Amino acid sequence: MLPLLILSPLILLAALGAVWKARPVHAALLLALTLALIALLYLAIGAYFIGLVQFMVYVGAVAILIVFSLLITRPGDEAEEISRRPSSLLTGLICTVPVLAVLFISLIRANPPEPAASDAPSATLQQFGEKLFTTHAPVVITVGVLLTAVLIGAALFARGVQGISSSEPFESGKSLPP
Amino acid sequence: MISLPVQTASFPPVTLENLPLLPKNLVEFLLGWVGAPEWLVYAGGIVATAGTVVGVFLSAFALLSLVERKTLARIQNRLGPNRAGWFGIFQPVADGIKMLTKEDIVPAKAEWLLHLAAPVLIVVPPILALGVIPYGCEWTPVPLELGLLFFFATGTLTEIAVFMAGWASGSKFPMLGAMRAISQMVSYELPLVISALGVIMVTGSLSLPDIVGKQGGYHLGFIPAWNLFTPWGLSAGIIFYIASIAEANRCPFDLPEGESEIVAGHMTEYSGFKYALFFMGEYLGLFAIAGLGITLFLGGWQAPLPGLGFVPSWIWFFAKLAVVIMSYLWIRGTFPRVRIDQLMRFAWLCMIPMALVTIPAAGIWTLLRANGHGLFAWLVTVPLLVFPWIVLTIVYNRCLAPATRKYTFAE
Amino acid sequence: MTPLATLLTLSSVLFSLGLLAVLTRRNAILILVGIELMLNAANINFIAFWRYGPPDPDLTGPMFVLFSIAIAAAEAAVGLAIILMVFRHTRSTDLNRLDSLHG
Repeated sequence: MLPLLILSPLILLAALGAVWKARPVHAALLLALTLALIALLYLAIGAYFIGLVQFMVYVGAVAILIVFSLLITRPGDEAEEISRRPSSLLTGLICTVPVLAVLFISLIRANPPEPAASDAPSATLQQFGEKLFTTHAPVVITVGVLLTAVLIGAALFARGVQGISSSEPFESGKSLPP
Repeated sequence: MISLPVQTASFPPVTLENLPLLPKNLVEFLLGWVGAPEWLVYAGGIVATAGTVVGVFLSAFALLSLVERKTLARIQNRLGPNRAGWFGIFQPVADGIKMLTKEDIVPAKAEWLLHLAAPVLIVVPPILALGVIPYGCEWTPVPLELGLLFFFATGTLTEIAVFMAGWASGSKFPMLGAMRAISQMVSYELPLVISALGVIMVTGSLSLPDIVGKQGGYHLGFIPAWNLFTPWGLSAGIIFYIASIAEANRCPFDLPEGESEIVAGHMTEYSGFKYALFFMGEYLGLFAIAGLGITLFLGGWQAPLPGLGFVPSWIWFFAKLAVVIMSYLWIRGTFPRVRIDQLMRFAWLCMIPMALVTIPAAGIWTLLRANGHGLFAWLVTVPLLVFPWIVLTIVYNRCLAPATRKYTFAE
Repeated sequence: MTPLATLLTLSSVLFSLGLLAVLTRRNAILILVGIELMLNAANINFIAFWRYGPPDPDLTGPMFVLFSIAIAAAEAAVGLAIILMVFRHTRSTDLNRLDSLHG
């Protein structure tokens, strides 16, 4: 319980920074911090496999992806300062506060039962492997096909790049991409 | 109340095999003898274990910095550092004093918090990763059930730190260097992990001590049962080796930090002790990934010949580590640097297909050997690996590699 | 507060923070940040119920989270590829500038 009480406010603070900070790179780095803290939360609860996967995929791939695209697009900070105008903030709060209220009210109403103080249910690697490749095998194959399609699609998107294409010989006037 | 795994009253006998565990045993015994509470004994044991690993590998880092300079010097037909003591043996000390006494310059345009946090964050993942590698049959600092996954997860933390270093410096060379470094590390992480997948599949476990344990025993009485001596293991081992050179940003893949390319890449605006931390992080990462390669493919702490079991197992590990690191140094001194587009094409178009071919080969190998067809396993997997290798290499060199460039100069 | 209630509160507030980001940010990439926060909030919910809820030998919670993480990564990749293509076309990631169907 103690790790939960320490990590939860930290996660919320980091997420608040990711949502609120005007400089985009700071927001992206705070997102990476939030994701890392959530991975630590999973590790503290006892979901070790999921925690490490969260670290590897979210912090190591998604956060890097976001940060990299911020490096490429180099957004300025003025746009985000403009979004601080009271009108847009008010719109955001009008839509968000009811959602939060509904979630809280349903949480209080549902009154989740007090769990018996138990250790984490067992989630060994063997169980994951069995479940993944027997019960959930079609899902694994579908996700594999999906990720392959995403890879090919993203590569095709990126091919529309100006500059040197691989089949022309280099001429000394053209500039190299970084 | 959880029960902590602490030492009971008696002190375990000190053998050569046990020697690296001596600090931990000593600390736990002393604390228990003084009468400290159980959690303090446990914490003391943890600190002692971590201290052993850090102490061993920091001294190895100091030694490696000297050995590298001397080896590169000899390859390049010169002498290398030989002023600071006999044979240059105090050169690391001199380097350390220099780094510590240098002025720490932070550029005015830099963000000082991220600029400070980046070197710290880049040293932490290799040290974490060094904790899960089995160094001896009794010495795994942190034996985790998901050790290999933990290792790769800490590798990805390095990339965020590199980005922070590059961006927080606030100038162009670090930013470009960080972009190149991140794209290189992300691209070569795929062949690294895919080549390790074959080993995981064959062993059936992510736990590194289990992987080493499975490579015990000898075929035909004298050939060790290491993963490198199987067809899929050789193929995956070569891919892992090349990918580890790229992950550690070593020559020929050291474009992000080559001096003639981009000054020092993401480390340009760092001086003094922060630069030393980058240096340390890179070398500790090299130790970690070489250690992982040895664990996965070279049998970890297993002895190479049946009669040599009397030598402590951690000595075999460090001997193999020395051989692998010397091969890295040799390659550094021999090959020219690779261009960024050659690097990326090589990773995505050549290494990943080759790595993917090893997985069915490993599966077929295990299946056939489990059913008793040992020779048939060799006959099937060797063509299954050799043929795609040859085809992929020819196809890559003819069609997919960047074309040779024609430079036209002003006449 | 029980651990389950703590985690559910955390995930609710995280979800609404993500929603706030999606609604108020002008940079397309920072909207993706909000989407990732929402996905993570849902994942925390699943893990919380797996850990503190009734015993479930089927590992439903972690399985779902595993696939959710994979799909979130794929979606982030596709979303960023689209944003970068739009950026190449209009030289801006400001969503308020993308207000005409004809490029």
